[in-house]
Amino acid sequence: MKRSTRVALSTVLIAPLVAGLTWSQAAAQDRVIKIAGVGAMSGVVRTFGVNAKATLDMATDEINAVGGIKLKDGSRAKIVTTYVDERCNAEEGISVIRKLASEDWLVSIGPTCSNVAEPLFGILQRKAGDAGDSGLQFPIFTDTAIKPGLAKISEWSFRNVPHEPTMYNHLFKWLKEKNPDAKTVMIGVESDFAHSNANAGIMEAAAKAAGFEVLGQEKWLLNDTEFSTQVGKFRRAKPDIIGIAAHPFTTCGAVREMKRQGVKPKVLVGLTSSATLETMVGCGPEAEGMIIPTGFAPVTPEAKRVAKTVAEKYKGNVDLHSAAVYENIQVLKMVVETSGVEGKPTTVASDRRKIRDGLAQVKEFQGLLGKVQRTEDRESTKPYVFAQARNSDWAVLYDPR
Amino acid sequence: MSDLVLDVVQQALNGFLFGSSYALIGIGFTMIFGVMEKLNLAFGVTALGGAYAALLVFRLTHGPFLLVFLASVVAAGLIGLVVEVTCFRWMPRDYPLAALMATVGMLFFVEEIIVHATNGMPLAFPAPLGQLMFDVGPWLFRGDLGFMFLVSLGVMGGLWLLVYRTRLGLATRAVSQQPVAAQLCGIGLRRVNAAVFVLTGMVGGVAGALIGSAVGNLSPLLALPLTVKGLVTAVLGGLGSIPGAIVAGLLLGVVEYQALYFFGIGYRDMVTYLLLFAFLVFRPGGLFGSRAR
Repeated sequence: MKRSTRVALSTVLIAPLVAGLTWSQAAAQDRVIKIAGVGAMSGVVRTFGVNAKATLDMATDEINAVGGIKLKDGSRAKIVTTYVDERCNAEEGISVIRKLASEDWLVSIGPTCSNVAEPLFGILQRKAGDAGDSGLQFPIFTDTAIKPGLAKISEWSFRNVPHEPTMYNHLFKWLKEKNPDAKTVMIGVESDFAHSNANAGIMEAAAKAAGFEVLGQEKWLLNDTEFSTQVGKFRRAKPDIIGIAAHPFTTCGAVREMKRQGVKPKVLVGLTSSATLETMVGCGPEAEGMIIPTGFAPVTPEAKRVAKTVAEKYKGNVDLHSAAVYENIQVLKMVVETSGVEGKPTTVASDRRKIRDGLAQVKEFQGLLGKVQRTEDRESTKPYVFAQARNSDWAVLYDPR
Repeated sequence: MSDLVLDVVQQALNGFLFGSSYALIGIGFTMIFGVMEKLNLAFGVTALGGAYAALLVFRLTHGPFLLVFLASVVAAGLIGLVVEVTCFRWMPRDYPLAALMATVGMLFFVEEIIVHATNGMPLAFPAPLGQLMFDVGPWLFRGDLGFMFLVSLGVMGGLWLLVYRTRLGLATRAVSQQPVAAQLCGIGLRRVNAAVFVLTGMVGGVAGALIGSAVGNLSPLLALPLTVKGLVTAVLGGLGSIPGAIVAGLLLGVVEYQALYFFGIGYRDMVTYLLLFAFLVFRPGGLFGSRAR
């Protein structure tokens, strides 16, 4: 056989083998776990989305840097992410989740706002596997929307948000112990925001349960700028404790007006969502002394590391909401590794179901502040601390862990 | 004196003073309408944009409030000019809705720029008079709102001088009353329109800086309320009437504060819009405008 013929024959024989090997490797490489972040990237709550995206990017980059997720058959899959804007608008949120579900995304982390989460969970299949229910079969693992009790709407909805009633019950009980002379509580609430409204009810119930007399609630709106009427009523009632169930913009306005009118309660309590950098930037020294129970503070080595990395490399802030994104990614990694998810284009529907079932079976996981317990209704019971605004930063006042 | 009387008077005082912020915004709406017979719904965000630009200057220089104030006035004047060019000059004149919708677009465009630049976070705005309070008998009097009231009176006086004592004012009135005749007399319509937008933008800058200072924070959340309250003020006062805007702004402030006190937050804005509705039905020309415009 001539040399040229030998080369040609070898090529013909070897090429399919090489091609087959390459295809097989490529197929393994192509296996991806697609996770979509959904949150507010525009509008006045954009900061939530920015921080959640930064944390999502950090968590997935770390996992991908060490080879991605190890699937049950031994192959590895990279995490692919996107982050979609729901603008804190229910219609927008439903629209983006429908689009993601029509594509090959396996699971979503989000949304930001409770007023989006509530109707959004309503379009999911209520009971997993119910053939008579045509609702979306798409797992959602919420990081931010915090209004209590939402995950029970659908068996496809999961949340890893702090349980506010537990935290505020504990806080008011603790305040009663530390301030036995304090008798009365008054609450200021941003009445047109779902989370604030729900939180005001939680604060009131917690205060009553701890033995305080609740003198009433003063209401304002999310974009109000002047609070003299409401604060004037605080001034006249002279409550020992004032709770402010409002987001940073109006919280800052209210505490500023309190200072102006000389309203000085023994204790000032804030909304969980205000235990953020935003409050420090907006309120300045007027926030000094405010106490807020929060599901995140850089008090463990891992929490410190994550907060530092996200701040330095991803230009975001880790707070009680965005910290949950990091935890959710770790939980999803564990679920994908143990539940037989294949990560192929042909197995999207079954992979979604496996992720849902896997999430439902998680009873406990390691969070940034410690062990997080999962409840039967797909919510988390998270460790928390009481943070206090001191010297324009949040310091840990009490750590009950 | 009973608590009720004390509270009602305190509410009236607070409303009256806070109403000066509505008056300043209302002046901008009313002046542009007076000259062009068109609504500029981007005026509120022009004021806010000026205040944000001033905050940027403050952060870069840590200069005195006067510098912040002037920066707001200049920046808002420039934004006003951009609004005039993009939303009015470039729009087809035979389709009035185009300009109106362009200003709506500009409102949300500028608001979203602010959101993207700040991530929507409220930012502390310098407030040199922020904690100044006076005891007037049993009542409290906010120093910063009092200052805002005085400034709005000053702005009104300045505008009156400008409109009735300068050549630009004469040209503006001519364009406002007889645009074609004014052009035939050699008055440049574009130049007058641009001057009015710069001027009202500067008034917006005054309002933005003072409102930012009174609130103590800037947030994109302010864009829509400034627009709505400014528009309501201008309509109540009579579109085109500067004194009308001042009186209506103060009236609106008093009505809102009394409604808040007596009916609660859920009804405050309902009372405002009922008042607007009543004016539109019974006195469509507003307090100082002509009845049939």
